[in-house]
Amino acid sequence: MGEEGTEGTVHLLCLAATSGVPLFCRSSRGGAPARQQLPFSVIGSLNGVHMFGQNLEVQLSSARTEDTTVVWKSFHDSITLIVLSSEEGTSELRLERLLQMVFGAMVLLVGLEELTNIRNVERLKKELRASYRLIDSFLGDSELIGDLTQCVDCVVPPEGSLLQEALSGFAEAAGTAFGSLVVSGRVVAATESWWRLGTPEAVLLPWLVGSLPPQAARDYPVYLPHGSPTVPHRLLTLTLLPGLELCLLCGPRPPLSQLDPQLLDRWWQPVLDPLRACVPLGPRALPAGFPLHMDILGLLLLHLELKRCLFTVEPSADQEPSPEHRRRLLRAFYTLVTASHFPPEPGSPEEKVEDAAQRSQVPRACYLVSGPEEPGTGWRLVALQSGPRRLLLLSAQSPTHALRGLATHTLHALTPLL
Amino acid sequence: MMASPISCGSRHSPDELPGDPSSQEDEDCDYEDRVSYSGSYSSASSDYDDVEPEWLDSVQKNGELFYLELSEDEEESLLPETPTVNHVRFSENEIIIEEDDYKEGKKYEPKLKRFTKILKTKSLLPKRYNKKNSNDNGPVSILKHQSNQKTGVVVQQRYKDVNIYVNPKKLTVTKAKEQLKLLEVLVGIIHQTKWSWKKSGKQGSGERLVVHGLLPGGSAMKSGQILIGDVLVAVNDVDVTSENIERVLSCIPGPMQVKLTFENAYAVKKETTQPRQKKAQSNTNDLVKLLWGEEVKGIQQNILNTPHIVMYLTLQLDSETSKEEQEILYHCPVSDASQKLKSVRGIFLTLCDMLENVTGTQVTSSSLLLNEKQIHVAYWKESDKLLLIGLPAEKVPLPQLRNMIGDVAQTLKFMYGSLDSAFCQVENVPRLDHFFNLFFQRALQPAKLHSGASPSAQQYDASSAVLLDGLPGVRWLMLPQEIKMDLDTALSDLEAADFAELSEDYYDMRRLYTILGSSLFYKGYLVCSHLPKDDLTDIAVYCRHYGLLPLAAERRIGQLVIWREVFPRHHLQPSTDSNTEVFQEPEGRYFLLIVGLKHYMLCVLLEAGGCASKAVGNPGPDCIYVDQVKTTLHQLEGIDCQINERLTSSPSPCLSCADWFLTGSHEKLDNLTTSPILSRLPGTSKVATSPTCRRILFGDYSLKTRKPSPSQSSGGSDNGCEGGEGVGLSPHTIPNAIWKQRESQGSDGPEKSGALLKVTKKKATLPNPFHLGNLKKDLSEKELEIYNTMKLTSGPENTLFHYVALETVQGIFITPTHEEVAQLSGSIHPQLIKNFHQCCLSIRAIFQQTLVEEKKKALNRGDHSGSTNSISSLNPVKEYGVLFECSPEKWTDQRKAPPVMAYWVVGRLFLHPKLQELYVCFHDSVTEIAIEMAFKLFFGLTL
Repeated sequence: MGEEGTEGTVHLLCLAATSGVPLFCRSSRGGAPARQQLPFSVIGSLNGVHMFGQNLEVQLSSARTEDTTVVWKSFHDSITLIVLSSEEGTSELRLERLLQMVFGAMVLLVGLEELTNIRNVERLKKELRASYRLIDSFLGDSELIGDLTQCVDCVVPPEGSLLQEALSGFAEAAGTAFGSLVVSGRVVAATESWWRLGTPEAVLLPWLVGSLPPQAARDYPVYLPHGSPTVPHRLLTLTLLPGLELCLLCGPRPPLSQLDPQLLDRWWQPVLDPLRACVPLGPRALPAGFPLHMDILGLLLLHLELKRCLFTVEPSADQEPSPEHRRRLLRAFYTLVTASHFPPEPGSPEEKVEDAAQRSQVPRACYLVSGPEEPGTGWRLVALQSGPRRLLLLSAQSPTHALRGLATHTLHALTPLL
Repeated sequence: MMASPISCGSRHSPDELPGDPSSQEDEDCDYEDRVSYSGSYSSASSDYDDVEPEWLDSVQKNGELFYLELSEDEEESLLPETPTVNHVRFSENEIIIEEDDYKEGKKYEPKLKRFTKILKTKSLLPKRYNKKNSNDNGPVSILKHQSNQKTGVVVQQRYKDVNIYVNPKKLTVTKAKEQLKLLEVLVGIIHQTKWSWKKSGKQGSGERLVVHGLLPGGSAMKSGQILIGDVLVAVNDVDVTSENIERVLSCIPGPMQVKLTFENAYAVKKETTQPRQKKAQSNTNDLVKLLWGEEVKGIQQNILNTPHIVMYLTLQLDSETSKEEQEILYHCPVSDASQKLKSVRGIFLTLCDMLENVTGTQVTSSSLLLNEKQIHVAYWKESDKLLLIGLPAEKVPLPQLRNMIGDVAQTLKFMYGSLDSAFCQVENVPRLDHFFNLFFQRALQPAKLHSGASPSAQQYDASSAVLLDGLPGVRWLMLPQEIKMDLDTALSDLEAADFAELSEDYYDMRRLYTILGSSLFYKGYLVCSHLPKDDLTDIAVYCRHYGLLPLAAERRIGQLVIWREVFPRHHLQPSTDSNTEVFQEPEGRYFLLIVGLKHYMLCVLLEAGGCASKAVGNPGPDCIYVDQVKTTLHQLEGIDCQINERLTSSPSPCLSCADWFLTGSHEKLDNLTTSPILSRLPGTSKVATSPTCRRILFGDYSLKTRKPSPSQSSGGSDNGCEGGEGVGLSPHTIPNAIWKQRESQGSDGPEKSGALLKVTKKKATLPNPFHLGNLKKDLSEKELEIYNTMKLTSGPENTLFHYVALETVQGIFITPTHEEVAQLSGSIHPQLIKNFHQCCLSIRAIFQQTLVEEKKKALNRGDHSGSTNSISSLNPVKEYGVLFECSPEKWTDQRKAPPVMAYWVVGRLFLHPKLQELYVCFHDSVTEIAIEMAFKLFFGLTL
């Protein structure tokens, strides 16, 4: 990437809805944060058209040029978020979800109270700086996909039950019901209560942990955008192994100091080997030696009811295309099939509701062949929906007629995992 | 008799009509000569040998003509509606105006013209603008008698003029039988002479002609303006009484417009201007009315409540004269729901301006929420003007809207040259109102469009319009070689234009127009075209817009004559090649002539300038050309039934109905979705052993079924037929198994494909085992035909449900005909078709994106070699498929799960060797390879 002009840039604007004062602007270009910013006059008119419409009871939601999409969204009549993206293959669905995540991140770190009831703009601006890092990670290229799917990125550890036991025991001992093991932003194991966290925070918390600079232990105040937007909780993290963090969500107690090394040792020493096995799992998502067909270059498995997903582009890593490219392809394909065919995931009310006539015709699978005309080139993507599970595969070689069989096979093999 | 003698004598001062260049005066006499010739030229021509064609009266000031007359039987069929309309008329003045003039309604804006006529004291002002050669004004001058009353008519409001169309030819049959009462028979007015005569005892000057009744179906009733109790005082300005009426009427020589002057029964107290405005407005609905039937009122109310708008805005604001709404050059419609959209035009203007500055590309669309409803607004920017169309998302998905605005712009440019000339001229406003009225009807109420058609065809049309209306092509009907040759010959003869009046040495002068090409439609299908692709699509969008194609499909057209100047982009774009050797387009003007007759419609593109003489002013349709086109159509009448036959039993791939696949297949498919491949074999045998299913699926084929063995997937069968049977018995076998089986049959694979190839090429003259499983319902009747049909899908039974194949180089597409679809009635099939088209629309949107990228890439390659490496998008997408499952909507059986049927919708884009798009819908049981299907479909698909 890195073309001249505006190609591949994403601008995110946050304004106070009533006054129109910009709270922050973040930009990224070609997947990396960029300093380039929109001129103030443009920010003003982007907000102006939205406000103008609102005064006339017309809600401007999006606009498209040949290569750019703009999405407006206002939250609680107090914060207006505007995103302007000229990334290729961008879509409204992606941008709308991005804005939701961004607002979720703002609430997570600042609290809803501050955002809906702006008394001091300058102070709010300063407070919001804390969320830049997290927000930038949404704008740039991420290895995770939870921002788009609104499902928690997970990995499947080889000895999951052992870890699960250790985690539950430790959380109980620490006096909280919410605990999880996170490896580079992906959840390895979590307690029942943790899994029951609402939509934005379940994705945001591991994401936040993954985006923070490595530290041995943290005590981080967070608001839960869904569960507790006004009362802060404490997010305690302890680095068990480099890259592997233990997260606890708790109230005023226990203090971080109470989680002394003895307690940690007691619970985690016995499972040290399984823990070690988890560390390299991050981008792989699947345990080593999991039988995947050779043709599969990347996969995304979603469980729409549990709101968890497995996302990996590691298989056959030596082949073209690059992992980054694979991720982009799968993201684009996910956006495409979700926006145009598959019914939206349960629990996301903002998605458009299809009419009844279409409902009787349920899409089950979908494939796409991309690339030049010559046979044997290009990529094939296939999506399969079965019950609550949806599987997306990226493949290079498989003939189109075999795609569905491949997907069915793989889905069947993956079913016990998620 | 009428045409010739009046000619130059009744010439009038040239200042009567602005815009009619007096420079033509000299030429006029020449033209008149020719017209009088055309009068006597009666050989092959239709109903109006010695008279002016009846459409002449409808020609507008600018030379345009939109004349539509339904054939007699169609008129009859419309009749039942008329009495109710009349009924209303007695009570309320308002409705009189709104509903007015059914007969006239079929013509384009005749009312406006008539009023101009009246206001300009018509006796002094013949319609010079009709045609260069029509100084004579047929109807008015029938007896060359000017009645003095007439000048007072308008002012007094006591009298009213009604133009009705009479056709004495119709009488010829009845004439012999009875003592004719022309007033009754010809005009449709019942006047009971003797009764009142005796009573009053008057004799001398005859009795006043009071309208006692209206003959159902008569012209008078159809006109809708004549009320019982009115008194007929004059016919074409000749005073009439009961005494002379028959004589006067008998003077009418042929089919023509006659002006009847009535003394109003109920003094209508209206301002002269008021009805005029109203009528101009209601007239815009006339074509709408015709197409949508009489329920139009309710529909329109419905439409008015949906927010929708079209606006043409200027981005250049004159800051000094800050007038309210000065940036709006045109907008439509004026309704409360649309008002809101109009009021936020600032958003659109700002977005257009700002986003272009920021991103460097033009804004294409935006979405907004209005009363919880999502509205998409599409933008079309040209120079400093902005065309906007806003429609609710639930009615029109965004990709469709984008296609629509492109089509609108294309149509308007075709009609007016540029958007500016379309929108910025005041006289175009009523035309545009009409244009967009039609447009919104089409967009918002597609189902109501085809009221005349059978419900199934109507449904098909409505559901397919989503996709088909946006395709850059014309629906094409493939015809056998011999018919095609006949058509080609006929069109070539016409285009050669070397028959008597058109040849240059006949009059020793340059011909008026060169015929650039023509294309022939039958029942809305293109059957033959000699036009370049661009012209063809231009004409197609025009016809589509005015609903001409469905009109010709459903109603027999008595006569349709359309004439207008057009601006085909193909001929008008500046030549890029500076080489003088290369053919340069002449700087000519272009005219479109469409003549319709019965189910035929022939579109002819004419060029003035170049090798023909230059066009001056706004020439109207030339009788000779219209005649000639009409003659061509008459010639083709014989082929009519052959084409029709082709329509009903098309050679194109035969289709299956989705419902046939539904029975008994549910168990299988449940398995299919939830369980892995291996567990499916038992399911296979389950289906195979259910006899009812088999019978339904395979018709007589079940006679020779063998016991299905579970080992079938091992592919032990030794010949194609049996192998096919094995697959056929388990229509829902998983693709993999079939593939394996195919591969295991590797030995006879080549043979098989070879046979298929031959089948396609020779249209299957040799009996083919694969056709046995054909799913045509009435096998016995059509046994022969089956061998002549082509099967698109592989595998033993036909699993093809629907297809659309677009061939963009020639600008045509093929898709099953209405008749074919109508044969496949079922409960889920219509839904499937609807879903197919909607799905194809979104697939096509992806393909269009690919095409844009390809174009960009091609441009970049020219500029600098380093093409952008687009790794984030999926492009170029060349194939896209979606698997759907459907089940019957009403499933009453609680114990069983409803049966499920799975089918694919696959779209395939071909960039090389030429741009083609293929969309197919087939059952899940057989794995299809889109390229193979495309080859079969596109084979031999040439104009």
